[in-house]
Amino acid sequence: MFTIGKLASLTSVSNDTLRYYEQEGLVKPAGKSPAGYRLYDKDSAHRIHFIKHAQNCGFTLAEIRELLVLRGRDKACCGDVRTRAIEKKLQIEHKIRAMKAMSKALDQLIAECANETQPVKECTIIAALERATVSMPVH
Amino acid sequence: MKVEIFYTPGCSECVAAHAKLRTVAQDAVQNVEWRELNVLEEIDHAVELGVITLPSIVIDGDVVFTSMPTARQLREALIKRSKERV
Repeated sequence: MFTIGKLASLTSVSNDTLRYYEQEGLVKPAGKSPAGYRLYDKDSAHRIHFIKHAQNCGFTLAEIRELLVLRGRDKACCGDVRTRAIEKKLQIEHKIRAMKAMSKALDQLIAECANETQPVKECTIIAALERATVSMPVH
Repeated sequence: MKVEIFYTPGCSECVAAHAKLRTVAQDAVQNVEWRELNVLEEIDHAVELGVITLPSIVIDGDVVFTSMPTARQLREALIKRSKERV
């Protein structure tokens, strides 16, 4: 059994983060020491690693909570998890597309502002951002 | 009218529902172009249309259902859109 500090060092997560995970129902102590300190077992460490890996794949804590529920549910199958992974990939692809559109919009603004020595009042980027309708390429 | 169903391969719930929904769609409106799309093979198309949950049904380019509809829900949606087009 580990104290919160030991679990934090084993998983490279701060004590505050572990407390937050506990508040969010993602981990719970396996017991308490005679002095009343929370104690965690190896499963808690596995769950923390699971959470960190899932976060790296783009899952939010709410989604990770669902994955952890599926992980522990006898009737769940891999297809349930796979669908969530595919949906997450779709969300990420949407974000990539939106960010590429933002990047193109910035390219346009940067190209329009070729004269770096102009006073800021005449800056075409500032002017374009002040206009209500900045053209945003879709693709 | 173009109806596209995006599904996850291996989703038994989807496979069972497709045939029934296809019949419902073809009975509800004329000239239905029915497509069943494995999202993993059509990911760019899915993203372009705004599909983010599975299964999803897209009618004439609009995401109309983000979960499997009942036969009645699909019929009503198709008839409504068909009337709007006239």
